[in-house]
Amino acid sequence: MSEISRDTLMAYADGALSPAERAEVDAYLADRPDAATEVALMQRQANAIRTLYGPVAAEPVPPRLSVDKLLQTQQKRRSRFWTSAAAAVVLVGLGLGSGWLLRGQADTPGIADQLIADAVSAHTVYVLENRHAVEVNGADSEHLSSWLSNRLQTTLAMPDLSASGLTFLGGRLLPAPNVPGGRAAQLMYEDTTGARLTLYVTPSPGPNTPSYELANLGLDTALFWADDVISCTITAPYPADRLQAIAKTVFSQLNPSGPDYRT
Amino acid sequence: MVDILHEIEAAVPALRRYARALTRDFDRADDLVQDCLERALAKRGLFRPKGPVRAWLFTILVNVHRNSLRGTRRRGEVVDLADIPELSVPAPQPGHMALAELDRAIGTLPNEQKEALLLVTLEGLPYAEAAQILDIPLGTLMSRLGRARATLKTMTGTPSEPHLRTVK
Repeated sequence: MSEISRDTLMAYADGALSPAERAEVDAYLADRPDAATEVALMQRQANAIRTLYGPVAAEPVPPRLSVDKLLQTQQKRRSRFWTSAAAAVVLVGLGLGSGWLLRGQADTPGIADQLIADAVSAHTVYVLENRHAVEVNGADSEHLSSWLSNRLQTTLAMPDLSASGLTFLGGRLLPAPNVPGGRAAQLMYEDTTGARLTLYVTPSPGPNTPSYELANLGLDTALFWADDVISCTITAPYPADRLQAIAKTVFSQLNPSGPDYRT
Repeated sequence: MVDILHEIEAAVPALRRYARALTRDFDRADDLVQDCLERALAKRGLFRPKGPVRAWLFTILVNVHRNSLRGTRRRGEVVDLADIPELSVPAPQPGHMALAELDRAIGTLPNEQKEALLLVTLEGLPYAEAAQILDIPLGTLMSRLGRARATLKTMTGTPSEPHLRTVK
């Protein structure tokens, strides 16, 4: 009888084989006590895991996890969004606007790295938030966009990444100690699996900024890009190639009049 | 729309069970499930039934959990293994020692292996569905399962087999 792989034995133990494959393994195990012991151990592990944690599913569900209750809070929250939205739009614009006027004063060598670090810190903090992930709801993107465009004297749109499967959640104002003006805008997107991507946009930190940098940070990848007008860092838990594909869409939409994005 | 709400509600006990096993912490587990449900409810209009609602919810839960791990690492809240209270351990019974040992062993597995092992064993999901939830190829899923099982075997040891047998 031919040798049967460990993976097949494991699939057998997990009940993942077809009846025909199962019969084949049954026959094999009949005269292989070692393999039979191995399979039995894997099944015992699975049984023990179910014994350990299985009873959780029978516990009463706490009220805070009631779907009805969560729906109600969500609807209440939605109506409160608009109050803070207007103020936040003005602040984001002020930050970028004054940054634009003061640009060129802080072009230290490691500026790209500092901006990437700021962007990633902000990403880490806010992607965890459900209720306070953004200050300005994504529904207000037209207002946000036109205001920023006026301030930066260029066409700056809120990128639409729906073609990449990402929904615009909204934006917020953040301190950015490393750029003139000291403020940055963070725009947040989410895919259908709940993974989140952020854009960290600042006025251009100066003429000596590297135009492109990619940083791999374990779970996240960050991609930095700058031109004469703005810098943008994209952070997401995606592999580099996927991020680069998204980056092309972002850059062409953020600044269509600017030079083409190159990797 | 009503249907999907019912399906979400029906999945809550399984989500809690999976979250509890992933975190081995009562409150953290329910926090994750709450995050997961809030995101799912906010996005339910976007859900296109490509697969079961349940798999979609598990995908969100896995992502929320990965995010929370990243947050923990950044804040540097590393807890010594010996200080971890033995949560989720049932009252003393035959096999209790072996189970407590297994619980601790599962806690030491790398997250990617734990995610895979618990989807297949605890939740009883088919390989293909587990691989889809974790967004990895089938081969990767199987190698993670294999490594997780080998580690558990080394850590809990074969001498505990007779104990484990009593708790089936």
